[in-house]
Amino acid sequence: MKIAISAEGPDLKSAVAHKFGTSQYLLIVDLNSGDFEAVPNPGSSGQRAAGIQAVLLAISEDVKAVLTGYCSPVAYRHLTASGVEVLAGLSGTVGEVIDKYQKGELQKSVRSKVELKSKDSKIDKAALTQAVRSSAKQFVNLLPMLIGVVLLIGLFSTFVSREFLASIFSGNLALDTLWGTCFGSIFAGNPINSYLIGGELLKHGVSLFAVTALIVAWVTVGLVQLPAEMAALGKRFALVRNALCFILSIPIAILTVVILNLIIR
Amino acid sequence: MSLLNAGSSQKPKDKKTVMRMVLFPAFVLLVYGILFITMQDKAFLALKSSGNVFLNIIWPLALVFVVMLVFNLFVKPGQIAKFLGEGSGFRGIILSAAAGIISVGPIYAWYPLLRELKRKGAGNSPLSVFLYNRAIKLPLLPIMIAYFCWEYVLILAGLTVLGSIAIGYCLGFLVRNNDGLQA
Repeated sequence: MKIAISAEGPDLKSAVAHKFGTSQYLLIVDLNSGDFEAVPNPGSSGQRAAGIQAVLLAISEDVKAVLTGYCSPVAYRHLTASGVEVLAGLSGTVGEVIDKYQKGELQKSVRSKVELKSKDSKIDKAALTQAVRSSAKQFVNLLPMLIGVVLLIGLFSTFVSREFLASIFSGNLALDTLWGTCFGSIFAGNPINSYLIGGELLKHGVSLFAVTALIVAWVTVGLVQLPAEMAALGKRFALVRNALCFILSIPIAILTVVILNLIIR
Repeated sequence: MSLLNAGSSQKPKDKKTVMRMVLFPAFVLLVYGILFITMQDKAFLALKSSGNVFLNIIWPLALVFVVMLVFNLFVKPGQIAKFLGEGSGFRGIILSAAAGIISVGPIYAWYPLLRELKRKGAGNSPLSVFLYNRAIKLPLLPIMIAYFCWEYVLILAGLTVLGSIAIGYCLGFLVRNNDGLQA
């Protein structure tokens, strides 16, 4: 059985870190063998999604319990929903806390406090409030770019002529699809913007092949995030994956339109 | 998405992110400002055209919000992490595809977990299948259907899942699993 403990250092003598989401390390301890591993907490930088990254890490390590100083209600809810027991309010060294946990001294006192607290706070209502808040936040985050794109589309339809577009998208199926893929690969951001741009291009007579290639490449090829992907998953992985996605955008676009034409007819 | 944003709710948004968010719309507004001074009639035409686009997307956008809310309530990050940890077999590939489809939020937030999973032995195939299937944005389907049609959206989604499996197998063949772990 494995447990995770938020820690300020990479060994058992380190102090238990106060905050689970932003602690320097998560020590993953196998209670059966006594082995442990110090995993740098991806949320330690305190950047976006810090708490949830620690949650994902704990779950991916298949731990049965998380021992920490403080665990936010959101992280607590996600951990317990995945069957992970959360014991908070702990202090001392990691070794001491593990010792108490194994002797069963922690569970009685800390678990009862956490359970009592969770009953009092009506978790369903809290979950709904949190979901509404998160959705509103996502929506607000999406709006500035969306407004920019909609305003740009207004400029586009006023100033860009069909003739100009025809000079780029000549009606040649292969070439147009390739152009669509190239444009989609360069641009990044919320895919909603690619739908709006694609819709506008269609109105201006650009083929659905090119528009589909643009939409597919927009979300599958990530030139902007390539450095981050290389750092996370390896240079070769990122380069080969993006190259394959670029190539695949073309047959997917062609097949989509061909099948659509067959169905609609 | 919620799940990812949820963790950040306690931190003030960093200046860089805010700058990135407003830079583009601010630039477009500047262009409009210049146009209103130099070519007022064209500026009005462009604004009218933008207004029409807004009217077209306003109801689908409301639906997007509702779908986001449902996702935030019912999709748990634990499910996604467990799906991704299923290994490279056929079942693992299918579950990775499902994880990609239901995962939301910026890809940057997922990289640390993907790296950790890779370090723990997750194969390149399920990881790439996961990444490719993020192209299917369930909360955004109302907008996509409004602009194209549901048949188109369905075909594209189906081909995306099939394409992801092809990418997964190709990548598993072309890239060694331990590539990049030392990086």
